[in-house]
Amino acid sequence: MGRLNTVLAFDTSGPHCAAAILVGDDLVACRVDPMTKGQAEHLMPMLQGLLAAQGLGWSDLTALAVGTGPGNFTGIRIAVSAARGLALGLSIPAVGVSGFEALAHGLPRPVAARIAAPRGQAYMQVLRAAVDDAPSLTEASIAPPAGIPLAPEASPQTLVGNIARIGLSRLGGPVPRPAPLYVRGADAAPPRDPAPVIVP
Amino acid sequence: MDRQRIILGIESSCDDTAAAVVRGVPGAAEVLSSVVYGQADLHAAFGGVVPEIAARAHAEKLDHAVEQALGEAGLDLSGIDAIAVTAGPGLIGGVLSGVMCAKGLAAARGLPLIGVNHLAGHALTPRLTDGVAFPYLMLLVSGGHCQFLLVEAADRFQRIGGTIDDAPGEAFDKVARLLALPQPGGPHVEREARSGDPARFRLPRPLLDRPGCDMSFSGLKTAILRARDEAMAGSGTLSTTDRADLCAGFQAAVTDVLTEKSRRALEHYLTLGPPTPTLAVAGGVAANAAIRAGLQRLCAGLGVTFLAPPLDLCTDNAAMVAYAGLERLAAGAVDDLSLGARPRWPLDERSPAMLGSGKRGAKA
Repeated sequence: MGRLNTVLAFDTSGPHCAAAILVGDDLVACRVDPMTKGQAEHLMPMLQGLLAAQGLGWSDLTALAVGTGPGNFTGIRIAVSAARGLALGLSIPAVGVSGFEALAHGLPRPVAARIAAPRGQAYMQVLRAAVDDAPSLTEASIAPPAGIPLAPEASPQTLVGNIARIGLSRLGGPVPRPAPLYVRGADAAPPRDPAPVIVP
Repeated sequence: MDRQRIILGIESSCDDTAAAVVRGVPGAAEVLSSVVYGQADLHAAFGGVVPEIAARAHAEKLDHAVEQALGEAGLDLSGIDAIAVTAGPGLIGGVLSGVMCAKGLAAARGLPLIGVNHLAGHALTPRLTDGVAFPYLMLLVSGGHCQFLLVEAADRFQRIGGTIDDAPGEAFDKVARLLALPQPGGPHVEREARSGDPARFRLPRPLLDRPGCDMSFSGLKTAILRARDEAMAGSGTLSTTDRADLCAGFQAAVTDVLTEKSRRALEHYLTLGPPTPTLAVAGGVAANAAIRAGLQRLCAGLGVTFLAPPLDLCTDNAAMVAYAGLERLAAGAVDDLSLGARPRWPLDERSPAMLGSGKRGAKA
């Protein structure tokens, strides 16, 4: 029997734990559990259950695909850290897929992808046939550049399925370790009080 | 005798990303490897650890640290019996990354997963380094913690005193910032103090006049700020002599408080009649030579063994986490894949809370 690629995809960049299993070209399982907290506790048992329901175990996987955000900072670290641990433990690649790529999957390029950010803002990226633009953080109301359509919104179910398919498409080449896509820098300010001038 | 086990430990609760491999049985174990990736450079510009910066670094370094620790131990994951990970207390972003990475490894290899209290890791280190017998007295003194623990068993800790506000390490860092010294402040303040006059500035010894083993270091920081501003009055600058004297005065005050409170903690401990009376220290502040000398003199006078683990096992590391995991595994205490991360997790949950309350719970 020819061995089909079995890809487990998961994403915790929004208020949910989302997961999908792709066997060959078939999406055989998909599940989204909405939650605003508790993803760290929920994710791994959920993945294990999803695999078991298909008669699969961790060692049946040929690759992982993980949503890297942007989104909730803690959420994207939960999924990425789990993916890195699993990849090391299973000696299989983990492919990082951004939320922009998941939204734009299957759409003609160029296309703009927009993801809601806190405080009335949005993350936006223009994906092109060759090199994508750098993602940015903008006001939520700002439209994409003229002439570039906006990718329609998609459900977490659709997005995690797309993450799995994009992950599968990247196998074969070198796969860098997944890393969270923050877009926004860490909130950090230098100390308020200046240090004194020291004289001999 | 128990079977020898090999434990992989993971630590990411503050600003060190660490992984280590420990082999042995409770009370007789050895460190096969211990890898620590520090983050001092990332935080240097901010005068202290920035939680979000720390969390970002942990998430992308943990698996590398694990690979290096396995490599240095000459093992791969098939040689590991269990995965131990710091599940709290600490900066939650980093703890979460460590817990998730550990879960991934444990699930992938079908290995037991053990969530370890970071403070238990410190408190059990004397068992790892010297096989010390229970009960012993532990002074845990670092950038985030300061408490006396009576270590009665691997899972039984009684807190008999601690800071009611800041930890001394935090105070060393703050004093360094006030005096234009680099972070982390401990080693720099100590170096300056060597050439300073500890008696020139009159600084308080907070809570020394009160009975018991509780401490306070917040007022000492304020006192240093006042003394510095007085020294700078007129010129607007601080001389190197003033700075050295301030450092020496501060270090002497911290040493006096820790030594006197340790004496009281030891008096209580000795009433229990321990067969091999031992005071052990852990935490970065325990590296300070003046503080160490004060505690050594105290112990020598009372006929108590003073034990300071090597510096790399005193400060944050993953070997202590692996060892604490070894003790828990031997006791059959294993977690499952729903293990959570706890920002606050007092080691002694029987004593009344000293710090923190409300929805987030007690800190210590």
